[in-house]
Amino acid sequence: MVNNFSPMFFDFIVTSALWFYFIGGFLLFFLFFYLLAYTLSNNRELSFQYLNHLFYKSFLRLTRLLVPRHSWQIDQDITKIKSSVIVCNHVSYLDPLIIISLFARHKTIVKTRFFHMPVFGWLMKNAGYLPSSTDDRFTFLMIKQVERMKEYLLKGGNLIIFPEGSRNNTGNMGAFNKGAFKIARLCQAPIKVLRISNSDKLFTPGKFLFNTRVRNKITVELIGSIEPDYLHAPPTVAELRNLVQKAFAAG
Amino acid sequence: MQREEIQRQILTILEDLFEFENPGLNDNLRDDHGFDSIDAIELLGEIEKILGFSLTRAEKEKAMTIRTINDILDYIEVIASEHNK
Repeated sequence: MVNNFSPMFFDFIVTSALWFYFIGGFLLFFLFFYLLAYTLSNNRELSFQYLNHLFYKSFLRLTRLLVPRHSWQIDQDITKIKSSVIVCNHVSYLDPLIIISLFARHKTIVKTRFFHMPVFGWLMKNAGYLPSSTDDRFTFLMIKQVERMKEYLLKGGNLIIFPEGSRNNTGNMGAFNKGAFKIARLCQAPIKVLRISNSDKLFTPGKFLFNTRVRNKITVELIGSIEPDYLHAPPTVAELRNLVQKAFAAG
Repeated sequence: MQREEIQRQILTILEDLFEFENPGLNDNLRDDHGFDSIDAIELLGEIEKILGFSLTRAEKEKAMTIRTINDILDYIEVIASEHNK
């Protein structure tokens, strides 16, 4: 029992430290800058996106420090991506944090119910994130963000989408929602396909504790770059989805 | 603009842009054709082109409740008539 208890205790300590930073670090080191950006920034959305990026980056740096058995390998080319719709698989709650930590200018689609949450909803709304549906009072927010997306992408921003919707813990890719491909086509944007692997071994779906004890390598790879000829041979949504599915199958 | 002309334009848009196959006027857009809120926002841009003016926030929000092609036609007729008052 003692043998089992000790490693679990270490997981508990690390998990507590990480979530303490997630809340305490936000309040201590970041809230002031968010408030500053909210009141003074000329471009509030970009400022909030940058702060979210920095905050998640700092959280993941601390994670790397506290769980050295997990190594990380991220394709260097990924951080050069701009003006694209980025689609990524989704195996752990950490995935959005990992991907956002790679892009200073980003938007993403988030379940509408999260927009109702205090603080978190405020951060997402001000960062220009999109609610996943047009329910209730966030209808116009979604309309506004979709209408502005083409311009945002043209200016160098990225739209991050997890087309499986909810996190998938089956080991296989889940069915893709069409939203990512519809927006890519609407905005005539290239699609970059990322594969994230083994983040679920660090923070497993359905478990509260980070698993600090296994030796693991978390990777983020650029496995596909789809640049359709929207002007002369515009692809259908189904064709775009097939291309992405093929990239995942091949990658 | 006559309803028949609006219907012709909308059906052309739905078939060409949204890849509808054999759209029926009372089909459920979401269930029968996989038409979602992103499509609805794209369609609003096309409706603005047909009408020749920009829709207001309230008009756009109202469009999100549309369920059938007949609803789209009603929606355009109402907005066009209100705009011409």
